[in-house]
Amino acid sequence: MKGLRKYLSPFAPDQSGASGVLYELGGILVICDAGGCTGNVCGFDEPRWFTQKSAVFSAGLRDMDAILGRDDRLVEKLMEASGKLHPAFAAIIGTPVPAVIGTDYRALKRMAEKRWEKKSLPEKNMAEELLPVLTVDTNGMDLYDKGEEKAYMALFQTFAAEKFPVEPGRIGVIGATPLNTSSTEGGGKLARALGTGQERKVCCYGMGAGLEEVRRASAAEENWVVAPSGLKAARYLEETFGTPYRIGYPGAENLIPAGDYRGKRILILHQQVLANALRLCLRRMGAADVTAAGWFMMVPELMEGGDVSLSEEDAFEELVREGGYDVVFADRAFLPGMKGFQGQVVPLTHFAVSGRLVD
Amino acid sequence: MNGEAYYCTVEELVQKGKDDIPSPFLLNAHLIYSSPATLAFNSPGAEGFGVKRAGLAVPGSVMLLVAPGCCGRNTSMLSSMRMYQNRFFYLLMDETDIVTGRHLKKIPQAVEEVCQSLEEKPSVVMICITCADALLGTDMERVCRRAQEQTGVPVRPCYMYALTREGRRPPMVHVRQSVYSLLEKRRKKGNVVNLLGFFSPLEDDCELYRLLEDAGVRTVHEISRCRDYEEYLSMAEANFNLVLNQEARFAAEDFYERLGIPYIELTRLYQPDKIASQYQALGAAIGASFSWEEEQRQAQEAAEAFRLAHPEAAFAIGECVNANPFELALALVRMGFQVREIYGTVVPESFVYLNRLARLSPDTRVYSNTEPTMLFYDGRDAGVNITIGKDSRYYHPECPNVMWNDDRQPFGFAGVRRLFQELGRAWEQAAGPDGTRNVPEPGNEEKGGGSR
Repeated sequence: MKGLRKYLSPFAPDQSGASGVLYELGGILVICDAGGCTGNVCGFDEPRWFTQKSAVFSAGLRDMDAILGRDDRLVEKLMEASGKLHPAFAAIIGTPVPAVIGTDYRALKRMAEKRWEKKSLPEKNMAEELLPVLTVDTNGMDLYDKGEEKAYMALFQTFAAEKFPVEPGRIGVIGATPLNTSSTEGGGKLARALGTGQERKVCCYGMGAGLEEVRRASAAEENWVVAPSGLKAARYLEETFGTPYRIGYPGAENLIPAGDYRGKRILILHQQVLANALRLCLRRMGAADVTAAGWFMMVPELMEGGDVSLSEEDAFEELVREGGYDVVFADRAFLPGMKGFQGQVVPLTHFAVSGRLVD
Repeated sequence: MNGEAYYCTVEELVQKGKDDIPSPFLLNAHLIYSSPATLAFNSPGAEGFGVKRAGLAVPGSVMLLVAPGCCGRNTSMLSSMRMYQNRFFYLLMDETDIVTGRHLKKIPQAVEEVCQSLEEKPSVVMICITCADALLGTDMERVCRRAQEQTGVPVRPCYMYALTREGRRPPMVHVRQSVYSLLEKRRKKGNVVNLLGFFSPLEDDCELYRLLEDAGVRTVHEISRCRDYEEYLSMAEANFNLVLNQEARFAAEDFYERLGIPYIELTRLYQPDKIASQYQALGAAIGASFSWEEEQRQAQEAAEAFRLAHPEAAFAIGECVNANPFELALALVRMGFQVREIYGTVVPESFVYLNRLARLSPDTRVYSNTEPTMLFYDGRDAGVNITIGKDSRYYHPECPNVMWNDDRQPFGFAGVRRLFQELGRAWEQAAGPDGTRNVPEPGNEEKGGGSR
C-alpha cells in the first residue's frame, strides 16, 4: 500500500536537511513548529547538536497562533531573541504546521527584515547591521535532501552576492552535511581527500567553512558537488559567477571493505553521488554490474540504465528479491526488507536513514 | 554571539509573585531554545514516555502513526528497543493528503494490512495523529470506528498534538484517557486498586504497596505491570484509583463517569513530613490506619548520612527529573543542603514551594531552560558541586550527577531513600582514588555568570 511503512522508520525530513546546512553558520535558526519537530531535528538528525552549540529555536507555535495566523508574534519573538543574541542572520525553517496553514514565507521574511530595521536603526544607529532573514519553505513531508537543496539556494542567493577574483586552488564543496556523509567529521574527511598532495584551500560550506567562506564563494576555482542536494546551488554559482563544478565523492573508495568483487552483480543504496562514486570504484575492482538505487533525490542525468528510484517498501523488497544481486551495499536499517537474500550484505551507513554515524 | 544567561533569584520571583512571572519564564513569550537540556521538553518522545510510547501501554497493542514523515523520525530509536519491535507502523502523509484528506480513507486498509503482517492479532491498534490533523480538524474517532468495523480489531485514536501542549487537555493527558478507554464496566472488587499516572511501575520497594496491603488491598494494578490484555481489562474491577500524576486526572474522571470508579490524588513529594501528612490523609479517606514510621526513619537516615558525608554539597536541580524541581529544592534546603540553581518552568503552582524557599534560600537562582539566553549559560562560577537531572548535567558536566529520570518511578519515602543512595554513589564515583576531587568550594564563587 502506498505510503505504508511496516519496518522502515521515516527518513530524515526536509526540515532536518535545511537545518543541517545552516547549523554551523552563526545564524539563529527558528524551526516554525510547536516543539516536536525541533526535538526531532536536533535530538535525532543533528549529531553536532550534542557537542557544538548553535542557536536553534522552536517557534513554540500553539493552536491559536496557527488558526489565527499570528506571524506578527513570531516576528516579535524573533526580534527579541535576535536583539539578545546578535546573530549573523536569521533563518525560518518550515514544518507541517505552516504548510497546512499556507504561511507566506516571502511576506514573513519581509516583515522580519523591516521590523528589525525599525527596531535597530533609530535605537542604535546600526544601518550597517541589517539582519538578513532566510526562509526555507520545508514541509516535513519531503526528504532531507530537498530541504538541503532549498537551504543551499537560500544561503548562496543571500550571501554570495559579490564577485571576487578567482583564487587558484580554492575549492568549494557543496553537499557536505552529516546527513549525507554520516559523519560529524564529513567535511574534514572530504577536504583531506580533495586536498591531498595539492596546494588547495578546500571550503566545505556549512561543515567546516563558515559564513565568510560562503560570502566569498565566487572566489572558488571550482566547486565539488558531493550529494544531489548541492547540485542546484552549484549550477546557480556557475550561472552567476562562472564557477565550474564537478560531481563526485572524494575518498569514496575508503568505504569499500576489502574483498573480491570481480564479476559480481552489486546493488548500492545511498545518496546518489556517493552511490555513483562507489560504482566507479567497484567497476575498477572488476564488478560486472552495479546498480544504484535511492530513496532520495535521483538526478536523471546522473542515473545509468537500470538505476532505481525507490519510494515504497514493497518495491525495495522486489528489487532485492528479483535483482539477482551477489552483493548489496546498504544501511542496516534495510535488512528487514532483505529477508531471504542469500548474497553478501555490506553495511553502508546512511545517517539520514538509520540515524547512525560511521564514527 | 556573546551574552549572559537570564535568571531570577527565588526571592525576586516571590517578590514579583505568581501574577507577574517574568516573561523569560513564560513559554509563550519567547522562542524556545533547543539544547540537549530541553530535549525532553521539545520532544517528550525522545526520552522517557511521549505519546508514542505511552500509546503502546496496553498489552499487545500496536501503533499506526498517520502523519508527515517528520513526526515519526525519532521512532526508530524506540523501534530498536525489544519491547517495541514490530509495534510501530507508519502511514506517511504527503501534500495531497493535506489538501484532500484522502489519507483518512486509507486508514482502514492500512490497519488491515498491519494486522495481516503480524503473527498475532493485536489487542488494539492505536492510531496516532499529529499537528497536521489537528489543524485539519480530523474526526479521528469516526475514522477509528470505521477501521474497527472493517477489521474487527479495536482501533483507538491518540493525539500527538504538540500545538495543544499548554491547553486544557494536552497530549500526555489525552493519551492517558485513550489507553484506558478500552475498559468496560465490570463488577467491582473491594480489594482491588489501580495506580494511575505513570507508564512504568513504581519501584518495587515503594512503601505504598505495603500500606495498601495493610489496608486490605489484595491486588494493585498498574498498566505497565499487566502481563496481558485480560489483566489490563481487569483494571475495570477496581474499588478506587490512586492518581499519582496529575496528568492522569482526566483519565481518572473518565473512569469515574464510565465505570463508576472514584479516585484519590496523591502528589510525589520529597519532604518527609509532607509525605507523612499525605499518607495520613489517604488513610483517613479510605478508613485505614497506616504506619509508615520505619520507612520515614530510613529515608531520613539516608538523607542524614549523605549530609554528614558531604556537608559541602551544593546542588543544581533540573526539571528533567522524576520530581517537581521546586519541591525537591525545598526538600533539600529543609534538610540542610544548599541549592544554588534550579532550571525550571515557573508556573503559578510553583509558588506553593517558591514562597517557602524564598524564606530559607532566597539567593537560589532560577533559570529557564527554554529561554534564548541560555545559549550563553556559563556555570563555572555557580558554586555547584553536585547535580540532579539530565539538564543540570548538561550545564555542569564536571559535577557528579544523578539523572533521576528512570522509567521506574520513585515515590514516597522509598523515593527519598533511593535518591540519597544514588547521590552518595554518584559522589563516590566522581571521587578520585584518594577520595578527593576537584569541586568548586561553595561560597567562594564570584558573583555574575548571569543577568537579570
